[in-house]
Amino acid sequence: MSAVLDEAAETLGASVREPVDAKRRSRRAGGTKRRTASDWVVLVVAIVLGFFIAVPFLMILINSFKSPADYNTSGPLSLPTSLYFDGIVAFWERVDFPEKLWNSVFISGLVAVFAVVLSMFNAFALGIGRVKGRLWIVVVILLANMLPQEVLLYPLYFMFKEAGLYDNQWAVIIIFTVIQSAFGTYLLASVFGTFPKELLEAASLDGASRWQILWRVVYPISRPMLSVLLIFFFIWTWNEFLIPLTFLVSNDTQTVPVAITVLQGDRLMDVTTTSASALLGLIPTLVFFLIFQRTLTRGITAGAVK
Amino acid sequence: MKHSRIVGVAAAIAAAALVLTGCSGANDQGDDVLRLWHYEGADSAMGVAWAEAIKVFEEETGATVEFEEKSFEQIRSTASQVLNSDEAPDILEYNKGNATAGLLSSQGLLTPLDDAVDEFGWGDKLAPSLQTTAKYDENGVMGSGSWYGVPNYGEYVEVYYNKDAFAAAGLEVPTTLAEFEDVLAAFAAQGVTPLAESAAEYPLGQLWYQLALTQADRQFVNDYQLYENPVDWSGAEITHATETVQDWTEKGYISADSSGLKAEDAGVGFIGGQYPMFYSGSWWYGRFASEITDFEWGTFLFPEAELSPGSAGNMWVVPEKAQNKELAYEFIDITMRPEIQALLGNNGGVPVAADEADITDEKSRELIANFNTLTGQDGLAFYPDWPTPTFYDELNAGLQELVNGTKSPADVQQQLGEQYQAGVDDIVG
Repeated sequence: MSAVLDEAAETLGASVREPVDAKRRSRRAGGTKRRTASDWVVLVVAIVLGFFIAVPFLMILINSFKSPADYNTSGPLSLPTSLYFDGIVAFWERVDFPEKLWNSVFISGLVAVFAVVLSMFNAFALGIGRVKGRLWIVVVILLANMLPQEVLLYPLYFMFKEAGLYDNQWAVIIIFTVIQSAFGTYLLASVFGTFPKELLEAASLDGASRWQILWRVVYPISRPMLSVLLIFFFIWTWNEFLIPLTFLVSNDTQTVPVAITVLQGDRLMDVTTTSASALLGLIPTLVFFLIFQRTLTRGITAGAVK
Repeated sequence: MKHSRIVGVAAAIAAAALVLTGCSGANDQGDDVLRLWHYEGADSAMGVAWAEAIKVFEEETGATVEFEEKSFEQIRSTASQVLNSDEAPDILEYNKGNATAGLLSSQGLLTPLDDAVDEFGWGDKLAPSLQTTAKYDENGVMGSGSWYGVPNYGEYVEVYYNKDAFAAAGLEVPTTLAEFEDVLAAFAAQGVTPLAESAAEYPLGQLWYQLALTQADRQFVNDYQLYENPVDWSGAEITHATETVQDWTEKGYISADSSGLKAEDAGVGFIGGQYPMFYSGSWWYGRFASEITDFEWGTFLFPEAELSPGSAGNMWVVPEKAQNKELAYEFIDITMRPEIQALLGNNGGVPVAADEADITDEKSRELIANFNTLTGQDGLAFYPDWPTPTFYDELNAGLQELVNGTKSPADVQQQLGEQYQAGVDDIVG
């Protein structure tokens, strides 16, 4: 997970790197103030890496505002000669973007909330409740995450068709709640496994029931971790493609990544409009990430127990 | 407690949404609603013609059309699941070929259209080589058996050329293969790479196939595409193709860089005026018409070729689970009418049943006349990658090695022949 975080942080570039640098500097303030050669090497490597990670995003940004004629004469790498918004407008109107945006927010939001709650319940039972055979339970749960989605597709298709939920957003919400909470359960169960016994014993001595232990003791302490999970679940679900593509048949139920495929034809592609659509699809997750990035850094740095 | 409030809100949203989706889920399946899907853009030739067909249909039958524009990708990857459910539309545009329409027809998901074809007389409007991709046998192999689809448009591969570059070099449109090579040599002598090519995707494979077709007859196509007889991979046709590609690369007619280029790169290179010729499909026509503004351009059929790559386009199919099949047939019939076909032609498409006289746009008339010439001489030879599901990648990989000079023509042919045969054996059994 920290790899994912690094990647996201790199993409955001300076805005995230600065506080980290500042922290490092203040920590060093007591010791030597000069950077060593290895510091510089690390810095250069980080900048180069950050650049390579940012390249696809920059390409999207450049080409979204380029007219097709401009693209044909000067190629994908040059800056646009003039700002061109028709690609974005055309995509927006063709797929009714606000509707797709709402569908994505609705599905990803509900999945994030449900999956975090489910993960917490599971992890409470497995990590703190210490039920028998918990290792194997975790392994079975993790299967949902480890199996490629192509394998799950047909069984899920028949199940949800029987249940009358085919072509229904609830099919997607249920599937991803389970898949995301599998990862969440695994992560939280191992964190809860190291939960200090004294706290739990103190709570039960005070007469707290299990339900109260969960909500009054475990939940407040693990909140930073839960909010990080919430954000990851939201972003991961947002970017899901194959299962929404399969289960959301009607146009008015589809999500943003599914809508973007409208632009890919049999043999032709429209680079500038496709870029514009990618930009439109990317902005919401970026905004969401920027809003919650403080929670993110806090959640990762904060231990499970204060 | 704060958290339970969040859960409460979420549950409320969930309940509300369930009610909403519940409403839209129960589609109003009246007797006079035609649910129609296709994946053509609204301003493409097919999009324009079919929008008009929908209007005519609604006026004439009094039924309403519930149209949804789908993505090619979605129909390609989810059709078998959708058509097996109650969400199946009454009519949709679907991809022709053994792996798509053939597979679904053999699974019983598509309605056989033989009776409707007889009733409406669509068979008379479609040339024999256009019918090949509309008929599938019980194993889902195209070419014979029942009708499962009706194509509305065609596609074929020809040479796009830059008229200004030809005029500047004092060159005429070649009519024989020898003249064509002279044109290539003249451009190469000026330091210009004459052909926009891409070996990473379909363009070079189609040129290779076209070169083989210059030495071939219809029986070769039937053997290659419909597995009637084994194909001789060291025979005159394929040897000519492979050696010519190598020869043209050595002489600089095809850039050695093309092994890493995609079709998009080749097309953009032609639009940008970097290459004076591009051998590719009629699907580029609309884009060239709207995006080439700096020079005059035209098209010609590959010189001396009786056969060229090409086929009927994607087609209308009627799912077995469709609710209103009769309406679907009526709609198909409207799309086959001369005025709708002419509309398709005048917007840059290649209609299958249009009268050339109805086509007012001059460039479009050239495009459609070339297509009619080709279908008139039974010259549509389909595409080189059709015979097996994996041959597209295998052919590209082989030609990339040829262009890079890492394999000799004989080795490439032998490798392709083995891969082709292995794939065909899997299908024929």
